[in-house]
Amino acid sequence: MTRMLPLWRAGMLALGVSALAVGAACAKELTIGMTSDASVVDPQAGEELNSTILFYHIYDPLVRRTADLKFVPGLAESWEIVDPTTWRFKLRPGVKFHNGEDFKASDVVFTFNRLKDTNMAELGANVASVMAVDDHTVEIKTPSPFATLPNKLAEILILSEKNAGAGPDAETASPLGTGPYKLEDWAKEDHITLEAFPEYWGGKPKIDTVTLRPITNPATRTAALLTGELDLVIDLPVRDVDRVKGENGFSVVEVPSLNNMVLALDFRDKSPTIPLETNPLKDQRVRAAMAQAIDIETIRKVIMNGFSTPSDQFVPEGSVGYLPDADFHKMYPYDPEKAKALLAEAGVGDGFEITLDATNNRYVNDAQIAQAMASMLGKVGIKVNLNLMPKSNFWGYIRNPSEKSSFIMSGWNVPSADAGAMYQTLYYSRDNDKGYGQVNRGSYSNPELDKLVDAANATADVAERDRILKDATALLLKDIPMIPLHYEQDIYGVRDGVTFEPRRDKYVWAFEMDVAE
Amino acid sequence: MLAYLIRRLVQTVLVLLAVTLIVFLMMSFTGDPVFMLVPIDSQPEVVAAARARLGLDQPLPVQYLRFLGNLLSGDFGVSYVFRQPALSLILERLPATLEIVFVAIVVALLVAIPLGVHAGARPQAASSRTVMTGSLLGISLPGFWVGMMLILVFAVQLRWLPSSGRGDTVDVFGVPISIATRDGLAHVILPAVTLSLSTTAILLRMTRAGMQEVMRQDFMRFARAKGVSRQGVIWRHGLRNALSPVVTIFGLQVGDLIAFATITETIFSWPGIGKLLIDSIARADRPVIVVYLMLVATMFVLINFVVDMLYPILDPRIRAT
Repeated sequence: MTRMLPLWRAGMLALGVSALAVGAACAKELTIGMTSDASVVDPQAGEELNSTILFYHIYDPLVRRTADLKFVPGLAESWEIVDPTTWRFKLRPGVKFHNGEDFKASDVVFTFNRLKDTNMAELGANVASVMAVDDHTVEIKTPSPFATLPNKLAEILILSEKNAGAGPDAETASPLGTGPYKLEDWAKEDHITLEAFPEYWGGKPKIDTVTLRPITNPATRTAALLTGELDLVIDLPVRDVDRVKGENGFSVVEVPSLNNMVLALDFRDKSPTIPLETNPLKDQRVRAAMAQAIDIETIRKVIMNGFSTPSDQFVPEGSVGYLPDADFHKMYPYDPEKAKALLAEAGVGDGFEITLDATNNRYVNDAQIAQAMASMLGKVGIKVNLNLMPKSNFWGYIRNPSEKSSFIMSGWNVPSADAGAMYQTLYYSRDNDKGYGQVNRGSYSNPELDKLVDAANATADVAERDRILKDATALLLKDIPMIPLHYEQDIYGVRDGVTFEPRRDKYVWAFEMDVAE
Repeated sequence: MLAYLIRRLVQTVLVLLAVTLIVFLMMSFTGDPVFMLVPIDSQPEVVAAARARLGLDQPLPVQYLRFLGNLLSGDFGVSYVFRQPALSLILERLPATLEIVFVAIVVALLVAIPLGVHAGARPQAASSRTVMTGSLLGISLPGFWVGMMLILVFAVQLRWLPSSGRGDTVDVFGVPISIATRDGLAHVILPAVTLSLSTTAILLRMTRAGMQEVMRQDFMRFARAKGVSRQGVIWRHGLRNALSPVVTIFGLQVGDLIAFATITETIFSWPGIGKLLIDSIARADRPVIVVYLMLVATMFVLINFVVDMLYPILDPRIRAT
């Protein structure tokens, strides 16, 4: 009889568990397979996709970026331009932090002031000062006119003054935002549990509990989706796409990412890895020849398995400064014969040697792309030596000013959907007192472009900025300071019954999702 | 005995000191952590400020001495990425690793010793040959492949066990334990089996070799002649004499298990220190890497120490000198 007891108990336990499961059935749950654990919860402590996804569940920005790169009211209900460098933001009334306290203008002021001394200070570079006019109005001054300020504000998440002001690590210890979800539990490297915040100003979230599970190994992530442990996986590996598509009850969703793979070219008189007296890349014909030697379609088909979108320009469609009907790869189509002719015209018909610096663990198939390009360029006489390295070494190696690099492959994305942000960072002449050209690794310098960027930065009118930057785009497409390659495709695996629209910025956001009962 | 102990302790400290130096020098090749932390378009002043905040603006020898000084005062540094003490990050994840290592050891012992004794005592039996072939597979198949196959078969196809993660945990003295819950136990099985595979195979082969040698000894026949049953001879007289090389290997294997847990943890998303190490290397998070390597080095040294102390107990003919 005594031996039966444990069994009997187990039976009771099972009953209890199933009763719990029935009780929980009306609560909607969603489990997302992430590529890695978030590293921090304080939005001003670091920047990296998995942490950012967590941030946007807990915190809100003043201006919200939609899934397709539109900028709409967030914690700010509306805004107006007072004078070219002064903006007035009307804050949404009745917004509550997770602890029930009201969201006020002083929280916004606090957030921007705190930002200044953090690693993320760059985010606030376009904000000179923030002042609370009254409890629900803030005035933001920019150092110079900045027409796309609202776009930039979508990247700054608002903290609670009372909470984060308590000490340097207070926000990490107990994160407090106004966002749709509250941080419930964080078992490091295992799971993050988020609970819906019922008083969210945007309405009660449809999904009650969201679990973020870091699964670093891509194959395991796919397996966990197929076993039903996950409802959605981020970065479904290309080799598993057919497998998931073929399985009943699952589908694959893809969208072009914002990450534009670009080749930076050196414009200095003497380039460190080219054994020639003068740097041939200074000649536009040589840059055009390199662009025409690269067969982007083959890279898309063979290396990316079809999961890439050749980039037509430096910024994606919909951005401020995007030029309709202009396509880099149509201007410089794949044509090795033409490339050879251009090189001969430029006086380097015998070709030259150059080293390409690229990562081998940062972008999708980065090493293979670099290898393919080396062989393509080799066919027109440009001997490319590959210098591949992991990302932890890469950023320090190519850091600006880069004394060791002539030719760099990396990704660039502009979440603010503003070509000006990219052009002033990547293409503006360096060594100017404005501090622009922070990532101008090739020392590109074109007074005309500088002028256009200055003009764009002199107006607070977004339509005018767009017009000026379109000219800049046309200029850059002709001048080729960099060769744009392709946008990586973001690939997701989704269980049927989950309503999911991928975002261009990859910030998977449960507030926009739903699951079937 | 006391002199022996002291000598071993001094050696231990020297080994650990060497580890800190090697690790620190290696760190300078793993990349620049500052660029993993600040946005890529940061102004040089922001980069410089971040560098100063991390103490990376000092020359390497100064950084090393400062690190050693902090170490002596019990400060193991703060993770660049997590902004938390590196030691607490590791201690937080250590129980998870120790848990699968423990289960893997139990699995390995339960499988390896009986099968090894059997294969050693009856080398000609068909079952022994099967066991030996199996052990060969256990040694030669790579762990990550076996792990993926186990996931495919038991999680994806059969749906018996979960593919990854730790499952429900219960706090025992403030330490979360998976094996105490049904769900947690289901999560432990696949990673622990994967991890135990090569250890099982090696222990099995060691046990068999030891048994084969012992079986030929006169005292075994003598015991049999004296009237001890066959099973009694094998288990009481045979195994005990075959055990001392097994114990040595076992000790080394425990260290290996902790070190190899890295791969298993990555495959099964097991939230232990191995996974933390891999992630930290990718992020160039030096303090965490240093503390991890120090911890593993300490464990290896301690395990070897314990093994050396165990010999005289197992075989009184050996003296600790």
